[in-house]
Order: sequence, then C-alpha cells, then structure tokens
Amino acid sequence: MSRLWSRNEAVLRFVLLLAAIVVLPLLVRPVVASEIWIFAIAAMALNLIFGYTGMLSFGQATFFGLAAYTAGLMMIHWQAPLLAVLAAGTLVGALAAAVLGYVCIQRVGTYFIMLTFGFNQMFFFIAYKWTSVTGGDDGLPGIPRPPLALGPASIRLDSSLRYYVFVAAVFLLAFYAMKRIVDSPLGVIFQSIRENPGRAAAVGYDVKRYKWIAFTIAGGFTGSAGVLYSMMFGIVPLESMSWIISGDIVFMVLIGGIGNLYGPLLGAAAFKWLSEAISVVWERWPLILGVALVLVVLFLRGGLVEAFTRLRDAVGGPRARREPGERVAVGVTAERETGW
Amino acid sequence: MNVSLFAGAILNGLVTGMLYALMGVGLSLILGLLNIPNFAHGVLYALGAYVMFSGAKAFGFLGGVLAAVAAIAVVGAAIEYLGVRRLSRVHPDYTLLLTFGLSLILTETIILVWGPVGITFQPPALLAGGVDLGVTVYPKYRLAVMLFTAALVLACYLFVTRTRYGAIIRAGIEDKDTAAALGINIRLVFTLTFAAGAGLAGLGGALMVPVRGLLSTMGLDILPFAFVVVVLGGLGSLPGAILAGLLVGVVQSLMTVIWAPGADASVFALMTLGIIARPQGLLGQR
Repeated sequence: MSRLWSRNEAVLRFVLLLAAIVVLPLLVRPVVASEIWIFAIAAMALNLIFGYTGMLSFGQATFFGLAAYTAGLMMIHWQAPLLAVLAAGTLVGALAAAVLGYVCIQRVGTYFIMLTFGFNQMFFFIAYKWTSVTGGDDGLPGIPRPPLALGPASIRLDSSLRYYVFVAAVFLLAFYAMKRIVDSPLGVIFQSIRENPGRAAAVGYDVKRYKWIAFTIAGGFTGSAGVLYSMMFGIVPLESMSWIISGDIVFMVLIGGIGNLYGPLLGAAAFKWLSEAISVVWERWPLILGVALVLVVLFLRGGLVEAFTRLRDAVGGPRARREPGERVAVGVTAERETGW
Repeated sequence: MNVSLFAGAILNGLVTGMLYALMGVGLSLILGLLNIPNFAHGVLYALGAYVMFSGAKAFGFLGGVLAAVAAIAVVGAAIEYLGVRRLSRVHPDYTLLLTFGLSLILTETIILVWGPVGITFQPPALLAGGVDLGVTVYPKYRLAVMLFTAALVLACYLFVTRTRYGAIIRAGIEDKDTAAALGINIRLVFTLTFAAGAGLAGLGGALMVPVRGLLSTMGLDILPFAFVVVVLGGLGSLPGAILAGLLVGVVQSLMTVIWAPGADASVFALMTLGIIARPQGLLGQR
C-alpha cells in the first residue's frame, strides 16, 4: 500500500513538472523561463555532488563557463551545428571536471571547497586576461543560434519561445538521466559516501574513485547548461565563469533543498524568478538575496522542500515518504556534528 | 633587465604579501578554531577601507584607521555571536553559506552607502613622497605599511605561540571539547578570535586605502587570494600563512612585470602545484 502510494506520488510529481514546463512561459518571459531550466540543470548537477555525495563545490562556474566559451567559439569560428556543440560542451565540462576534480578530491572539507573555488578563479582570470580569444571583460559576442537538424528536418530556434521548447527538451533529457543515475546502484554508493565515507571505504568502495566519478558526471551536466546559456543571449559574458555564478548555483540547491531530485529545480525557479522580478524594481537585489540566504541557513535548512513538508504535516496530510535514494528535509538529518 | 623595475616589483610584492599575510593570519585562526572558511573575510577588508575613509574625514588618518579596526572587530564579533554560534551543531557547510550571504549583504551595503564609483585617497602628509633606496625610489607610505604590518604579523605570531591567551587559542584548535572541559570558556574564545580576525582584515583594508584606493568590489577581489594563502600555507598554521602570503604577493607582483596577463592566474597555478606537492600546505601539520 505504502509502496503504491509512493509510486503514485512519484508519478504525480513528474506530471507537475511537465505542467510547470508548459505553464512557465505563460507566467514569465520565455527568456527567463529558459534561464530557469538551464540553471535547473546546473543545480541538479551540483545536487549530485553536494546533496547526494556530500562534496560542496564552490566552483561549478568553471565548467559552466568553459563549456559556454567552447560552444561560442565553435559556433563563431566553425559554424558548428547545434547538437555537435551541445555534445562538445558537455564533453568539455566532463573532461575539465575529470582533470580538476582529480586534484580537488584528494582533499576533503574546507580544502576541497577552497580548491574548487581557487580553480574557478584561475579560469576566470585566464578568461579575463586572454582577450584575443574570450573578449575579456566585454564577453564573447556574436554567437549564432543554429537550427536544430534532426535527420533531414531542420527546425529553426530563432524565436525565444522556440528556443524555450528546445531548452525544456534538453532539460527533460538531463532530468531523466539524473534520475536514472541517482536511482542506480551508483547513486546509492554516492549517498553512502555522503553519509559515512569511512564506512563506505570499509565495506570496500574506493571512495576517491566514486567521488571523482560524481564530480565528472556533474561537470558534464553543468557543461551542457553552459552551452544552452551561450546561445540564449548570443553572448558569453565574462560573468558566466565568475564565482558569483558558482555561488548562485549553490544557493539554488540550498534554497530548494539538497539531496532530492526536485529541490534544485524549485530552487533554480525561485532564484531566477525572484532575481528577475526584483532586479527590475531595485538594482541592489543581491542584498535581498543575501538576506534570504542568511534566513534560510539560520531557520530553514531543508529549503523549500522542507517548507512544503512542514506545511503538509501541519495541515495533517500523509506523512512524507521517502523514495529510494531520496532524502526529504535533509537539513534535519544533517542536524548533527559531522566531519568533513 | 631593469634592476630598478624588478626591485620596485619585489617591494610592491612584499607590501601586497604582508597584506595577504595579515588577511591569512585572521582567516587561518578562524578556520582553525571554528572550522569555517570565512567567505565574509574579503568584504570585512573592504568595509574596513570604507570606514577608514569616512573616519579619516572626521578624525584624521590615524583616527580613521583606529575607527576601522574597532568597527570591523565589532562586526566580526556580531557575526560570530548572532550567526555562526547558532550553527555550531549543524554541518559546517551551512556556516560557509551564512558567511557567503553576509558577504553579499555587506557588499551591497557598501554600494548603498558609499556608491559604486571608485575613490582615491592620499597618504598622510608625514608619509607623502618617496625614499631613495639606491636601486629605486620607493613611496614612503608603502615602506611604512610594509614595516608596520610585518611587525604586527610577528606580534600575532608571538601572541599565539608565546602567551597564555595564545595557548588557549591553540588548545581550542587542537581539541575544543577537551579545552571546554578544562574550564575554558571556549564560546568566548570563538567570539574574540572571530573579532580579532575581522579586525585584522579591517586594518588591512584601512592601511591599503592610500595605496589601492576604494572600490566596492575590492572585497570580492581579494578574497580568493586570502584563500590561496591559507590553503598554500596550511590550514591553521600561522607561519605558513605568513610565508605563503609573502610568496603569493611577490610571485604576483613579479609576474606583473614579466607577463602581466598571467599574473593572477599564476597565483592559482602556484596553489595547485603546492597542493599536489604538499597537500597539507607548506607548513601545515594536517
């Protein structure tokens, strides 16, 4: 009975997600709607390493930006087709994450965070100073948005609504892939590393190797998000590689609730929608962002998902059930003194 | 090879390096004792600079510097007492995010109060002008800052390693629970250490105003370098932070002369090499 219920609930959530994809461009500008799903992919990727595997990366913009620049340069200089660019960007993200991640995962905790952050800064300064290739502070402009070639058919993506449909399709693919990963035995190993790296090692898992795998997979996802971002405004801004974007992605995951599949999506949507809504009214919106972050950290560590769960428990609904590989209200379970 | 140019670059590197050491010492103490990478450390530096700028108008240069140190130390104590302390029982990642949020808030506050446009500031009349050092003529103010911060960093080191209060801090870094069980008010030590670390960052910011001027993003710009210094030196190691601070400052400054586009990136390359060769940092134990 309870299995059936939890299965129904999973289906219901997915239907709600599809409904959100359809309704979103009616509620906000299609450009903002596209941005939401693009950052949802990046947030999902961070969730895999932070929420599921327990490593807080403060440098995801490295892979986002590298893929965005790769995609931009390929399209400007080679007029590369859309899917090739998407594949290349994903690959670049994964490769960069494999190389940098190999160094980062040698250390845990604070060192790990600072290493991811340090690499992020290194690539930021390279992009900033290497103006002949990246355009430096002015960004890399003039990126075309090639049509989607599927066999003989060629679909133009020139309007922002058409592009939204493409972004949403890529997002759904990424979401499906991520769900398969976290539900797989590999996903369970990731979670066992988050819960207790020492014990995971004791039962025979090569902890460093699995951390490396998680980091690399996340880099690939983040890379594909970067490619989608580069085509959206036809420019890769220098900021796409900055640590502010890394922080934004961390914030999205946190505000949504870490360690379950839907939290980062909610977080990305809330973050992008709020920043759009507030930045129109007030230029200093990062101030409000900071206040929100402080309040969430101090009072609502499980994020929006925990808020929903608490609300549902308060009105006497069915108790939140956990799907396999899913933690509801992680903030509560994380309420203990853990090592890094 | 222009000797004067290189001598100037090395001296500039030492000035920046002493500043990095000052930031690194505070960051390292906070990290060692409270186990958090303080993402607000950069913005505390910036806030110190701006408070000094306003304070100097009212009380003169020295008054401005003192006001900055006092104000930033109080802000630091408040951050620890009202925020960090409440998160002592949850995963340290949350504390990091708290300091990141505070960093955003304070950066925006600076823009709201002082505006987004950069400001320049002249050194006090007593230290204006340059000194002929034989190889190069160097600004008096920078030399004074270099010597003062060197003395201060040394004093911090001696305080932590040679005094009773320093022993308490080291005991806290080693084992908080045992230190608390031995009757040390570890909570108070946390608050005071955070305040001291913040005060050092504020002092660094205040002293650099006549050298670097004021810019609303100056805190975000220096933070990564402060992190590099701590990682390279070894978490919780003061001599490591001092050595790494000087190393990073000089390398960055020399690279500016040799190959300017790579100056900033070279610092992070240095950190990466350091981490691979000595994961525990140059002088770190752990």
